[in-house]
Amino acid sequence: MQFYLKPSILTLSAGLAFASPVFAQDDERVYSPVTDEMIMNPPAGDWLMWRGTIDNHGYSNLDTINKDTVADLELAWAWPMADVGLQQTTALEHDGIMFINTNNSIVQALDAKSGDLLWEYRHALAEVPKSWGYLNYQSRRQKNSIALYEDKVYLTTVDAKIVALEATTGKTVWETQAFDNSKGYSYTVGPLVVNGKVISAISGCSIAGTAGGCFIAAHDAETGEELWRFNTLDDPNNPAQGESWGDVPPENRWGGTPWAVGSYDPETNMTFWGVGMPAPYAELVRGSGDGDVLYTNSTLALDADSGELKWYFQHLPRDNWDLDSPFERVLVDQEVDGKKHKMVVSVPGKNGIAFALDRDTGEYLWSLETVYQNVVTKIDDDGKVHINEDLVSSAVGESHLACVSVSGGKLWQAGAYSPRTGSFYVPLTEACNTTTPIQTEFTAGNSTGSLKFGPRVLPEGIDQAGLVDAISVNPEQGTHAWQHRQRTIPTSSVIATAGGLVFGGDAGRYIKAWDDTTGEVLWSQRLNAPIGGSPSTFEVDGEQYLVVPTGYSAAASSAASMFPEVPLPSGAGNSIFVFKLPKSDG
Amino acid sequence: MIFRSLLALVFALNCVPARGQDAPQMYLDNTRKIQGDKIRVCVDDAAVGAPFDRAVAEEIGKALFLDVVFDQSPGGFPISGGGFLEELQIRMNKNCDLVMGMSLQTGNLYPDWVSPTRVYATVPYVLAVLDPRYETLADIPKEHFIGTALGSSGEWAFITAMGQRPEGQRWKRLPYADKSLMLRRLRDGQLSGMLLWQPMLQQLLAEEPGGGDVKIIAPDPIQVATVRVGGLVSSRDSFLRNQIDSAIDALIQDETIAALMDEFGFAGMPGG
Repeated sequence: MQFYLKPSILTLSAGLAFASPVFAQDDERVYSPVTDEMIMNPPAGDWLMWRGTIDNHGYSNLDTINKDTVADLELAWAWPMADVGLQQTTALEHDGIMFINTNNSIVQALDAKSGDLLWEYRHALAEVPKSWGYLNYQSRRQKNSIALYEDKVYLTTVDAKIVALEATTGKTVWETQAFDNSKGYSYTVGPLVVNGKVISAISGCSIAGTAGGCFIAAHDAETGEELWRFNTLDDPNNPAQGESWGDVPPENRWGGTPWAVGSYDPETNMTFWGVGMPAPYAELVRGSGDGDVLYTNSTLALDADSGELKWYFQHLPRDNWDLDSPFERVLVDQEVDGKKHKMVVSVPGKNGIAFALDRDTGEYLWSLETVYQNVVTKIDDDGKVHINEDLVSSAVGESHLACVSVSGGKLWQAGAYSPRTGSFYVPLTEACNTTTPIQTEFTAGNSTGSLKFGPRVLPEGIDQAGLVDAISVNPEQGTHAWQHRQRTIPTSSVIATAGGLVFGGDAGRYIKAWDDTTGEVLWSQRLNAPIGGSPSTFEVDGEQYLVVPTGYSAAASSAASMFPEVPLPSGAGNSIFVFKLPKSDG
Repeated sequence: MIFRSLLALVFALNCVPARGQDAPQMYLDNTRKIQGDKIRVCVDDAAVGAPFDRAVAEEIGKALFLDVVFDQSPGGFPISGGGFLEELQIRMNKNCDLVMGMSLQTGNLYPDWVSPTRVYATVPYVLAVLDPRYETLADIPKEHFIGTALGSSGEWAFITAMGQRPEGQRWKRLPYADKSLMLRRLRDGQLSGMLLWQPMLQQLLAEEPGGGDVKIIAPDPIQVATVRVGGLVSSRDSFLRNQIDSAIDALIQDETIAALMDEFGFAGMPGG
């Protein structure tokens, strides 16, 4: 089935308070539903979800923009975002329509070729009491992506709702209050939509009222009805999970937030999610002793139909430094000597250590260090991770210099895997900071215990803060294919393409294209603000486009003292820039 | 000459180094407020001390011949405190000349864009129990659990004291962000004592009929922890801070603060 859009009909059908269709010209569009077949094997010209595909590769099969042509890229159009705040958007594209989201849960549809606005959806957020400042804060740092499925756009919101919008109008089809916002839950993770299920994970799990419950959940894509939920902090089916918290019962546990979109393996119907740090950050305060505090900083493999845990692997047990491991889990298939190997490859945590796991069993295959870190001393052959106990504070006020810093190492900026080269390209930062367990109620008598972080500093002997690491992946080992080091830090995700290119950007406002086999910079362009969000690429009418988000970057701000000679703009400038090659005369 | 000096001062106040802000610059209002004889005071009304803080602010306003206009300071943050300072910076930039009810501990986390005022009250943490046999912490068996208010000065003191005792001489501890839950766990026997701020205990017991069976005992052998309660002003407003400090000083001297502490049932002492 296809949907034909006429502006006049659209205007009538979308006459809702929060969806505003705008058509500048009397055109007729065709929007074909995004089927399960397309989700499993997207058309090369589309970008349907956060990382483009359900395996989280961040890879495009398009190759018109390639090593030979990339230097000819020119600006096609640009667009200011609908709201300010942290720039973490990913532009999606299907059938010539681009979909972007921004802070405060605003979604826009644009003509992907011209940049004209087609419709805009503004989520009606409940008024936040002034005394509830955290939700205001969350609204400005909303990092969730959106996803396309069938004839809808799926949005997870800052007030813990899931909203299904009609892709052609922005009209709300359904919305559901997935979690109790009044307890502190809010979405910062976008959805993965497969086989009629909207699978996502909730955030806000360090708010007092959310103690003991942090969830990955699936909802029916047609109705919004919840199908299952999995609690990352309390698993009654696994005694080892509870024991790993020592004496601490579920009602005194916080953290365990997954905050990157999961991946999906259709062969096994498993979905793979990363989980973040425990809270309170320091074991001295949280009372868990030397327990591993599962499932924090773990990879979880869940049955997509039931939410049943198939296996888990913990990348950083006993976290004392807020070094989350929730980042993108990338599914890699490789055939070696006629044998197919199915892996989960990831730099899951802030400490920048790359891991490869057997995708069906969770068995540890290998690990590889990237940036300088001092929190993990050893990883055994069976994958058991040993922490540096010298960096565990035994008294309140006892400081340690932990490398990496609380902002990474690695952060939400996702890496990309290229099946073309077999390499995983990861944006990273060299940084350390002091960590000090501090007991300070900001408001007298209130509960806000904190680990105090010192300023980000470069590790001794290193003056290049930024690193793009190309990790050559195989079932036996990971090795560094190439490393691009630079003074400023990467602030965007990277993508790889069949054109032999890796695109990513930095705090110095440069979007760059690297040769995927050598790391040579083949193209760069300075824009208005730090490069943010995730670049994406698509094709319309035979032309390949590159989308580059820019804007306010918390990572750039927090790292600015490491490269003071590169001043950051004080304005936000949240925008997207769309590049393409000049049209040939022929 | 004076004009040139004033210009230089204005320039100095408006120039910031080319570096990242704690909160995004676009949220920071750069206008100087026209408010005549008003002072905008922010209080977190979700905080247990808010009514007392409001009353103290009213007295500060009277002492300075200023009308107090109340607004909200931000609350509801994660137990890590994440995001609080960014929101506080935005709120102080836009809405608050003075933020009341702040915990001004030694080695506090406040950045250089705020200045603490003089402390107007010092209020203790208390150890509350149900078992009438307990007279001090030392009477509670070591294998029992003590609940502590997560992230509090009382918890800090407790953790530090336990760290100084040999293993086997330490009480077990569970941190609580939800004080009502902590009281429920005291009642159902999962906790044998709970260490929390005295105004918080007072509020919990006021909300609960028949709360009289909860009693406060001495925390011996650990020391009593206290919260030094004061306010925050913008670091730019050094003149205002001096005026507020003088007012607090006067209110302590003339026993106005002491009277308010009595009125609101706060233990401890004025000033700090």
